[in-house]
Amino acid sequence: MLSRVANLVYWMARQLERAENTARIVDVNAQLVLDLQSRQAADDPRSWEPLVFVAGNDEKFFELYGKTVSERAVVEFMLFDRRNSSSVISCITQARENARCIRDLLAAEVWETLNTFYLKLKDDDFARYAQLGSSEYLNRVKAQIQLFYGVAESMMPRSDEWWFFELGRYLERADNTSRILDVKYYMLLPEVAAVGTALDMIQWGSVLRSCSAFEAFRRSRRGQLNLERVVDFLVRDELFPRSILYSVAEIEQALHRIVNGNEHLIGNPATLAAVSLRQDLESTDSPAVIADGLHEFLDTIQKRIDEIHGAVQATFIDYPTAKAKVLA
Amino acid sequence: MSDLFHSYDHGRFYDEMFAGPGRPRPHYQRLFDRFGRMDSMSDLLERQRTADQTFVNRGVTFTVYSDTAGTEKIFPFDLIPRIVPAHEWAVLEAGLRQRMQALNLFLADIYSEQRILREGVVPAEMVNTSKHFRREMMGFAMPRGLFVHINGTDLIRDESGAYRVLEDNLRTPSGVSYVLENRQVMKRVFPNLLRDYRVRPVETYANDLLNLLLHLAPEHVPEPTVVLLTPGVYNSAYFEHSFLARQMGIEIVEGSDLVVENDKVYMRRSNGLAPVHVIYRRLDDDFLDPTVFRPDSLLGVPGLVAAYRKGNVALCNPIGTGVADDKAMYYYVPKMIKFYLGQDALLSNIETFLSSDPKDLKYILENLPKLVVKSVNEAGGYGMLVGPHSTAAQIAEFRDKIIANPRNFIAQPTIGLSRCPSVCDTAIEGRHIDLRPYILNGESIKIMPGGLTRVALRKGSLVVNSSQGGGSKDTWVLADDVLAQEQTQSGPEKLIV
Repeated sequence: MLSRVANLVYWMARQLERAENTARIVDVNAQLVLDLQSRQAADDPRSWEPLVFVAGNDEKFFELYGKTVSERAVVEFMLFDRRNSSSVISCITQARENARCIRDLLAAEVWETLNTFYLKLKDDDFARYAQLGSSEYLNRVKAQIQLFYGVAESMMPRSDEWWFFELGRYLERADNTSRILDVKYYMLLPEVAAVGTALDMIQWGSVLRSCSAFEAFRRSRRGQLNLERVVDFLVRDELFPRSILYSVAEIEQALHRIVNGNEHLIGNPATLAAVSLRQDLESTDSPAVIADGLHEFLDTIQKRIDEIHGAVQATFIDYPTAKAKVLA
Repeated sequence: MSDLFHSYDHGRFYDEMFAGPGRPRPHYQRLFDRFGRMDSMSDLLERQRTADQTFVNRGVTFTVYSDTAGTEKIFPFDLIPRIVPAHEWAVLEAGLRQRMQALNLFLADIYSEQRILREGVVPAEMVNTSKHFRREMMGFAMPRGLFVHINGTDLIRDESGAYRVLEDNLRTPSGVSYVLENRQVMKRVFPNLLRDYRVRPVETYANDLLNLLLHLAPEHVPEPTVVLLTPGVYNSAYFEHSFLARQMGIEIVEGSDLVVENDKVYMRRSNGLAPVHVIYRRLDDDFLDPTVFRPDSLLGVPGLVAAYRKGNVALCNPIGTGVADDKAMYYYVPKMIKFYLGQDALLSNIETFLSSDPKDLKYILENLPKLVVKSVNEAGGYGMLVGPHSTAAQIAEFRDKIIANPRNFIAQPTIGLSRCPSVCDTAIEGRHIDLRPYILNGESIKIMPGGLTRVALRKGSLVVNSSQGGGSKDTWVLADDVLAQEQTQSGPEKLIV
């Protein structure tokens, strides 16, 4: 497929995945705040501040909203603020714009699903969110994105466009899951003594729920919710589709399908980077990683995901014409 | 009988539907009866809403240049179809075919021997001063000898109901996607009526266009690759570009997707460079190749014209067609038909005054309030003056422009375009319409039955362009003048002849 189009599909998938994860993070936090109600007021800035850091967009937030962190400010910033390029509305607008550019490739229903969603979403604001209630509102947003995935999955031919879609989706997911896990780093943990307390468990539970991983975790890992188990599950589970390892394996698979039949692309830098990250994750020892510093570990993963992204761009999208292979 | 048309005002124009108050023309009788069976206007408005929503959801939109930051709008659609009886269409078709033949011969001549100039039928100056005359193409052997492939000829009906040619569009005529989408919507909203009327289908257009494009490919290529070149997603006609690419199953590309190496054109794919043989370009000549035409164009492909000249890639429409759809050249088309085909034009032009002719110029300047003045190179309803609807200041401004650059303007009497009943807010009112049929010139000439009926939805407006508040209607060309028996109702006495 055309490089430009491959890039549009890839980014469309990334934006949708990012929007979904943002909605998840907000949703879980809103619930978490309810659990903490007895201890903290809902508008305690500390209940909402971590979200801004997770999104990696804290500078923008403080620039736009000042130092006062409130539920309203964070929700507006993460869901409705077009000045935040990672807000749900920005992501959906961009994904829809990309889809509009590639309408000739998409089945009518795939486009219409996204377009209809965008048209419903574009005038929403905090008042609408408050009126419906966070849970109801965010469920609708998530359901719309899931609907798009469902329609796309049943309609899109498994040609390059599909594999670039998968590539973008899982690359974004691997990144997002690492960020959700990182939230714990920023979350207020009153004292070291609090580890293993009810509050600690509630927080780990919320991290899992952000990834819809609570039930899957309970089934696959017996025993207590604790740091090591949750980290190991979200980083290294081979079967759970939102774990980092699973996502990287999917990236590798998508690249494999894209390269398939093109001998000159075997051993390209993107594939090599994905394989190496997957292998490293497989051999990671979670307790050791935690001992050395979880945040630093996650930071490295994010950098390596970004390297895969760079290699994808250089190999398939922005390659120099002069050195390119001429196809028969 | 029908409440919906009870208060319909016929005005002083030719009305497509009514011969007189309460007297529909024969080919509209059935629609008149059917609408009469609706409970009320609200029934019709409900259907109108259904249709509008369908367009929004399908993303059938266009972008307005003058509007803020490329706002998308739906091209307003009016539910009441324009119906063309078979015998009328037969005349139009013959006239359009004749016009296409003559224009193709004219372009072939202009870019080679220039016989028509040497014999003084068209003043050489007209060609030499035309902004769209491409000297670079002199002597170039166009693929298959075709110098123009697609024409969108705009037709209107005057006060007497006679069809007249308003202009030709030989560069990148747009709007055909709306014809196809309008029909899809009408099939949902009025399935029975459409069937009973035996309306000729328009669906084969995309296939005919693809066959035309394949016909243009370099002859030595067994399986040519065809692409559609768009200026990009912010172009007002982007919906159409993507629609046509999808319908034909070809790749839609932007200039940056194409590269030229060794005078061959390739598209940049994720796995390498793939050869391209035919380009259906929806980009004006000026922007095609910055090394030959406008150097500041970022939309085009450096080296494309060289590849074209080598015969390695075909362009549709070819380069240089604009010299024949210049609004001043329009004046000479009946003379071209006579010159090349030895025939009289089957479709008449509108009386036209050339401000480059001193005698005409005098007349124009004296009669500006009565005339429509058009800039010869503009399209889309931009750069025109509708005398009767303009202020003294606007008229004075145009007078200065005309005097400063006479070659750049033509003038025509203000024609009261025919009107067709249209759904307007709460009532059915007459609105002015025109018609753009699409003529394909490939292995043979193919004309889609009907075309785009544009409607000036603003009350009293004569400007039908989408950028100026225009909308569209479905155009029903009937297969037979004798209508089939109505299937949804009993009684042969309902037969309309």
